[in-house]
Amino acid sequence: MANPRVPIKAGYFTVPDDPNEPPKFLGTKCQSCGEHYWPRRAICARPECLSERTADVEMGPRGTLYSYTFVHLPLFGSTNLEHMDGYGVGQVDLPEGPRVQVPLAGKQGEFRIGQTLQAELDTLREDGGRDLVIIRFRPVKQSEVAQ
Amino acid sequence: MRDVAVLGVGMYRFGMWSDVTNATMAREAGMMALRDAGLSFRDVNASYVGHIFAQVMSGVRVMKEFGLTGIPVQRIENASATGSAAFREACLQVAAGTYDVVMVLGFDKMSAMIQQSTQGTAPENMEDAILPAGFFALWATRRMHERGMKVEHLAKIGAKNFNNGALNPMSQRQADKPVTVEKVLASRMVAWPLTTMMSCPIGDGAACAIVGRADLAKKLRPDRPVVRVVASTLQSEKYAKGHLFVGPVVGPAQMSIDSSKAVYEEAGIGPEDLDLVQVHDAFAIEELEYYELLGLCKPGDAEKCIEQGDFELGGRVAVSTDGGLIARGHPGGPTGLAQIWETTLQLRGEAGKRQVKDARIGMCHMMGGGSVCVIHLLQRD
Repeated sequence: MANPRVPIKAGYFTVPDDPNEPPKFLGTKCQSCGEHYWPRRAICARPECLSERTADVEMGPRGTLYSYTFVHLPLFGSTNLEHMDGYGVGQVDLPEGPRVQVPLAGKQGEFRIGQTLQAELDTLREDGGRDLVIIRFRPVKQSEVAQ
Repeated sequence: MRDVAVLGVGMYRFGMWSDVTNATMAREAGMMALRDAGLSFRDVNASYVGHIFAQVMSGVRVMKEFGLTGIPVQRIENASATGSAAFREACLQVAAGTYDVVMVLGFDKMSAMIQQSTQGTAPENMEDAILPAGFFALWATRRMHERGMKVEHLAKIGAKNFNNGALNPMSQRQADKPVTVEKVLASRMVAWPLTTMMSCPIGDGAACAIVGRADLAKKLRPDRPVVRVVASTLQSEKYAKGHLFVGPVVGPAQMSIDSSKAVYEEAGIGPEDLDLVQVHDAFAIEELEYYELLGLCKPGDAEKCIEQGDFELGGRVAVSTDGGLIARGHPGGPTGLAQIWETTLQLRGEAGKRQVKDARIGMCHMMGGGSVCVIHLLQRD
């Protein structure tokens, strides 16, 4: 049986029970002006608004790649062999508005600005019978983009 | 408001100094600045100390090296912009009439910090996944996409800063022969497309500026021109669409645009009046973007201007004349004060082989993670 999964830090993303279900970003929607944020916040950041009327929302799991890189160092805190030769990082625009900055799954040649990506959970290391996971994005195959 | 001048400057060369303490580096930089100003520590009314990585109380403890005179000592921290923020505080207090002579001292041992953080820090933050090099590499990829920037443009900035650093005895990185674009491109890849020679090193060091009433400058050192601080700003982020909240972040770009507009307005000058500029070139892509954000060239022209050599020594406006963060180094707390050291020497005509001819006005620009932008304009009489 697979280890239970726990987020590396609580409050940033969901960890669905179903391993086939993609995670979502835990964000905030301002009830006064409609702006969305990740991560969560209590007060709207727009200088014209600053409303305290905010609500929790879930965002994603798909987004559009704004920029990317491939870091040629092991991912900090990971014992996952996949991370030893480096890892992708992207800035991804969520359909709700926020731009998020998280690791990317795949090799540099697979990334293209403007492509559609989907969020997934990735195990950094095992910790007392639990898998510590982070959220990352993986490019969606062209044939699956319309779904 | 009273006129403010840089009375003296000093530095302890940046480098990997595992055997040298913060107290030693700071004392030597501070005593050099006092001698340069023609002052004794007895003349100092107050001190602002900038350090990022040293533990609590380090500022007030290190200041005891100069003698226990009872002056106010205050620590200032603003990430990479720590030294610049401390300098600004001193300028504001002298301008307001609170003090006549203030010592601004920055020191850090980033090498010790890196060792600590790799010895068992739990990565409990989402931020830990993305290194500064990765963050700035994202700027570079986007720039390639939007403006057709080539990796050679970044390599040219790296080579320029290495070669400027070779003319600066206080520079951490000292190339023994001229650095070429090819050499920068062939250095180790950190985060595509940024290589090690397009990135600042880890280091230790100290720097000091004595700030005081401008009329004192003439009295103390009648032999040389007065270097005035003619504008100062510190701004934090203003929210806009696409704002990033998680990760090692400086920006948005608008912050450097707004900050530079503020100092140009305060000094009543424009970017065309600048003779030399120091920027937060922790990575070459930053320097490229700041050319445009600070108004040194039009948006979209940076690549063309790099090809023309506009920002090299002897070019239209020299940038990172001392080697910048890439070559001179970036220990943290003292970095912004190293920019003041360089600009002050340049405006006095004391910058040796890297002297910018007839330099009259210089800009010092720093970004601090979190983030803030700090800019000062220095002008000689």
